[in-house]
Amino acid sequence: MASVQERLGELIGEFADLDAREKLELLVDFANGLPPLPAEYEARKAVEDRRVRECQTPVFLWMESDGTGASTFVAEVAPEAPTVKGFVAILAAAVNGRPVAEVASLSDDMLDRMGLADVLGILRTRGLRAIVARVKRGFAELAAAGTGN
Amino acid sequence: MPDYVHPEVLVSTDWVAEHLSDPQVRIVESDEDRALYTQGHLPGAVEIDWAVDLQCQVERDYIDRAAFEKLCAERGISNDTTVVFYGDQNNWWACYAFWVFKLYGHKDCRIMNGGRKRWDLDSRPWSSERVSYPHASYVAQEQDPAIRALRDEVLKHQRTGKQLLDVRSPEEYRGERMHMPDYPNEGAIRGGHIPGAVNVPWPMNCHDDGTFKSAKDLEKLYIKELKMKRRSPTIAYCRIGERSSLTWFVLTYLLGFGNVKNYDGSWLEWGNCVRVPIAKGGEPGGPSAASASPPPASASPTPAVHA
Repeated sequence: MASVQERLGELIGEFADLDAREKLELLVDFANGLPPLPAEYEARKAVEDRRVRECQTPVFLWMESDGTGASTFVAEVAPEAPTVKGFVAILAAAVNGRPVAEVASLSDDMLDRMGLADVLGILRTRGLRAIVARVKRGFAELAAAGTGN
Repeated sequence: MPDYVHPEVLVSTDWVAEHLSDPQVRIVESDEDRALYTQGHLPGAVEIDWAVDLQCQVERDYIDRAAFEKLCAERGISNDTTVVFYGDQNNWWACYAFWVFKLYGHKDCRIMNGGRKRWDLDSRPWSSERVSYPHASYVAQEQDPAIRALRDEVLKHQRTGKQLLDVRSPEEYRGERMHMPDYPNEGAIRGGHIPGAVNVPWPMNCHDDGTFKSAKDLEKLYIKELKMKRRSPTIAYCRIGERSSLTWFVLTYLLGFGNVKNYDGSWLEWGNCVRVPIAKGGEPGGPSAASASPPPASASPTPAVHA
């Protein structure tokens, strides 16, 4: 089974050699593929503090372990933020099922490798970096608490 | 939209639907999330992105005059084109793009009232087709200093107690929210507001469907309750000048204020400057504190105005 880094490499590889418009179209494709929030999370959304406050639009993230130490990454992103939604979908595809400690040590350069800075500008890519940081921190906390062993 | 002082700058979704193929009109989308345009835009609309198209990628400034001329030419915009802006987030980036077009002297700029939200609520069509137009020729004016305030001018304006509006959220205004978790490089070093600035968060200008509030409601807020004067020089700011472009638009065109400037440096500049005055908390403070009015009673249901 490919590591989170290898999976990410493969997903990000799809962005190589695309022009700006094609990159945005691919992001939108990923956004459309993010599954709807499962019913049990819908109920939890109301009572748990899972909203990413730095984001203008509603973004809810759950970083969890399935009990065997494998990562479960569930997210809901408002439809008015397709860039964030597409980006989160890529993260989810790479992260889900991998050991939490492995996800916690994910390298930070995925945005640079996707070449999104030219397409989105500096401030927007910082917002996406914040999401990577938050996801990594969530899984790092699980790993530190021993949930990931 | 007859009640506004300059109603001609605001067009309805009906008007835009009727002018989608009008060669005299160019529809321009500007968004917070630019993938929205990719996903679906008004048929025939071009995109102008605030971060990639309107801002200089080297210095913290707008593109220069030559780059603006090139941008317009590439989008098929001539000097005599009617340019109609719309977007997400209650049109705040649309107002920002409108403001940059005015900065370079474009004559006929308009905003589609309600932006993407209203268009969607009206169940009108979206298109994901790529749009291009034959190159136009465009000659821009020098930047118009009458609508842009730079830091030194804001400092002078503040010291003399002139009308100053902070359109950020109350938490940002009070200085409670300044460094955002995981955003180490984006925030300002200090939190608070420019002393003397009154806090009127930008959403107070809009209805839930993204359209602007009526002239009557806007007059009540700015003129009756905040006692602002149409003829007094006014400067609006936010974090990077985007939300304040919307307030600039409202004051200038909908209410007919004669001298409003957008301070695009905004809090990301002010909160990082050495030796500039800052006030914390819910009171305006500063030299103009004496002339500031108390919190308007009608605005109290939302924690929005901290005058």
